[in-house]
Amino acid sequence: MSLALLVMVGGLALVFLGPRESLPAEARGRQDRDVLRIVYTQALRPDPHVRMLPLSTYNQFILSLWEPLVECDPLTGEPQPAAAASWAWSDDHRLLTLRLRPDGRWSNGDPVTAQDFVRAWQRLLRARIDLAYMLFPVKNAEAYHRGQREHPEDVGLRALDELTLQVELEQPRTTLLAELSDPLLAPMHHSTDQALADQAFYEQPAALVTNGPFRLQRANADGYRLESCPAYHGRAGVRLAGVQFIRANSRSMGALLISAGKADLMPSASFSAERIWPTRRPLTVETELELGVVGTYFNVTRGPLRDLRVRRALALAINREELIEESDRARLVPAWSWVPDMPGRPGLKLFNEDAAEARRLLAEAGYPEGKGFPVLRMALPLWMEGNPYPAACGERWFKELGISTYVSYESPDKRSERFSAGDYDIIYGSLIATVPDPADLLTTFTMPAEFSETKWRDDEIIQLMAEANHKTGNERLSLVELIERRAMAAVPVVPLMFERRHTLRATEVKGWYEDPLARQSPKRLWLESAPIAPLNNPHTGT
Amino acid sequence: MNPSNGNGVGAWWRNWRWWLLFWVAGSVALTALVLWDARSWLQDGPQATFRATKLNLWPLEILWWFFVPVILLVHRSLARAERHWLWAVGLHGLLALIITGLFIVAQAYRLVLVNHLPITFLPVVVNDLRWMRGWSYLPALVYLALVLAIYAVSFYRQWRAGQRLTSQLQVANAQLETKLVRASLDALKMQLHPHFLFNTLNSITSLIRNNRTREAEDIVAGLGELLRRSLDHKQEAMDTLERELDFLGRYFEIERIRFQDRLKVEFDIDPKCLRAEVPSLLLQPLAENAMKHGISKDPAARLLRVSAQRDGTRLLLTVYNDGPALPRDDAALGRGIGLQNTHARLQMLYGDEARLRLRDNSPQGVRAEIILPFRTSSSP
Repeated sequence: MSLALLVMVGGLALVFLGPRESLPAEARGRQDRDVLRIVYTQALRPDPHVRMLPLSTYNQFILSLWEPLVECDPLTGEPQPAAAASWAWSDDHRLLTLRLRPDGRWSNGDPVTAQDFVRAWQRLLRARIDLAYMLFPVKNAEAYHRGQREHPEDVGLRALDELTLQVELEQPRTTLLAELSDPLLAPMHHSTDQALADQAFYEQPAALVTNGPFRLQRANADGYRLESCPAYHGRAGVRLAGVQFIRANSRSMGALLISAGKADLMPSASFSAERIWPTRRPLTVETELELGVVGTYFNVTRGPLRDLRVRRALALAINREELIEESDRARLVPAWSWVPDMPGRPGLKLFNEDAAEARRLLAEAGYPEGKGFPVLRMALPLWMEGNPYPAACGERWFKELGISTYVSYESPDKRSERFSAGDYDIIYGSLIATVPDPADLLTTFTMPAEFSETKWRDDEIIQLMAEANHKTGNERLSLVELIERRAMAAVPVVPLMFERRHTLRATEVKGWYEDPLARQSPKRLWLESAPIAPLNNPHTGT
Repeated sequence: MNPSNGNGVGAWWRNWRWWLLFWVAGSVALTALVLWDARSWLQDGPQATFRATKLNLWPLEILWWFFVPVILLVHRSLARAERHWLWAVGLHGLLALIITGLFIVAQAYRLVLVNHLPITFLPVVVNDLRWMRGWSYLPALVYLALVLAIYAVSFYRQWRAGQRLTSQLQVANAQLETKLVRASLDALKMQLHPHFLFNTLNSITSLIRNNRTREAEDIVAGLGELLRRSLDHKQEAMDTLERELDFLGRYFEIERIRFQDRLKVEFDIDPKCLRAEVPSLLLQPLAENAMKHGISKDPAARLLRVSAQRDGTRLLLTVYNDGPALPRDDAALGRGIGLQNTHARLQMLYGDEARLRLRDNSPQGVRAEIILPFRTSSSP
């Protein structure tokens, strides 16, 4: 027994105290030459209408397999031709006619037609509201989604011929074209719905017919391997031979995969700056600000929240720097406006923090030191239970203003019921833009009051937004700024934080570019100076 | 292999060989199942991934199947070695750490396999587990809980064995005590018989000297009958009151010859008391005492009355004589061999439940009273 004990203790000591630095990184296998290997940690499905987090992985996966009508220039945000070759607006900006490129082909060689988009978008309208809302600017789309219209033909989507698609809008919307770059709005081959339903692509990858720069080569529990699609119209410009999406058990394992030379790229919310990598493989962490905002929404129809002074007091009492936890410093930054910094449009500073002024305003509203103020109900979804920030806001309001907040975590059904009845005071949530346009985040203030979290409505803002949707360039930006200033002055919401997105990248991955919507398409990337392993390398990749 | 260990039917589960067989069969089945499930991955099939195998999906806690017998073996070795308890604590602490370490390494190795990391990354992953969410020390707690349970069962068994041994000893002690009591009683009876014989023989001698040969013959005949009956049940410590009175009657027949018409014997016996159990030869010494210190001391005295009554759970026996009162010298009381024997026997048989009392009877005579538990041969 003593010998066995000795052997076990020795073996464990070897493992626990073994080398953890300067390990050799694995050379790229020959079959992985020019194959970009992207790590993901949460379930990923080859379905444009099943959105996964982080969004960047979903975007890269879907945009590798499918190509939407347009794609946005990451620098200017301007829409550029993709599946569509050209487009034209009607004079009243309510009718958009898109002409598909004649050389657009599905991976099986079939031509990409306008009907393929109509089919996909009708499917999207039957999906959940958080996905279907993308098409709500289209005429009757929201009514069809909500069951108020029965026939899909009523929706303002028409395939005029094989290559001509017409989109009719409820209201003019100049950002619509940019919105069409969303992966959610990719077309679908007539066989795709069935292939996804019976998951035939696991056995026969070719069963998943796509129109993007890559096609499915292999799918299993370890991930997906894509190869360059010979039928893709822009194949000549694609420098990668393939893309592999490798599933890792955790972000940490993903990072180790990259460090070990088994993968090249991993988007993630954050990486610890002080992390010591076990190999000397050159790695870098890319950081970019997400086009989104985290904040609290006040139900302005409820009790004291009807009073602007109360809402302002609640906003002034927040201390954003103090709110953000130490472990989240790399991920979250304080938000002083509803729209973050964007390329060509720096964020505004519309909020400040002043607890004394907050107390004065509250007293002026008739609640000195919070006396007589009712308990505020903050209704949150169950999945948010681990999020410390809603409760931290409540703590801050109690500490500075003497206002108590009851935070409840509820099932989707219960929460939906509460939302419909308006039976809440505060909602904590985040909003992510779908187009690189500052107005996108502000459209939440133009929603009908019954569908908005704040139940707040300002006709002038609706008017201004309609006006902005007819304009472009600086003229439009000025109107958007006016909208944001007006909305923030009324304080139906309090912006709290913006989020940063990080990507761990092996430096041999070239062509990386910032994209506020995290839509870095693999077709724009390539690999350089990647050492290639000799033949017969026992470690032949995944 | 015999499923019974001699403790009777149903004790197969006490036989460790059946458990060993069960464990080996389980291990073989488990290993076969896992290998069969992972065959595609082991053969490096095109669609095979470690991620989808039971080796990856099953909880690591299944390792306890293999660890538990090891723990039992260690416990058994420790018990046999009879080491100091500190040594056992140290060894169990070390094993708890080793098992925890094995769980951590198993978890890390599984992550290495499922994430296709090089094996050289095993120490990195082990460290990474701590960095991410801390190592789980649950296996150490489970191990210690198991060891505690094994010790608890072990102590319980020892306690049960001790209990059984104690009750066996108690039974043996009780039997031994009974034998001792019986031997003591026999010894007391042996003391009694010579005393009685001595007095009777004195009486016979006296009758012969006075030429009362006829009466002497009657006494000898009576004495013979008395001895015969006495010897018949001399091995019995207890007898019924009825037989005891019958025996006493024989005794009075002898004494009546000695005292001729002067002695008057009365019996006042409650018939319900006849079946009561009393120590054999209990009343004869009291009667003899009454004759010696009462009737024979006072020429006017002639009455000797024996009574028996039941008082609830007690039996009250009285021997009365109308002779002279007790002497003032307390030391003289109860000094007679007969009374001492009776008192000793009552103590031995009943302890504090029995009492012997000798006192003057107002206005005349002396009463000897015995109180003892009322028992019959059918009493529990």
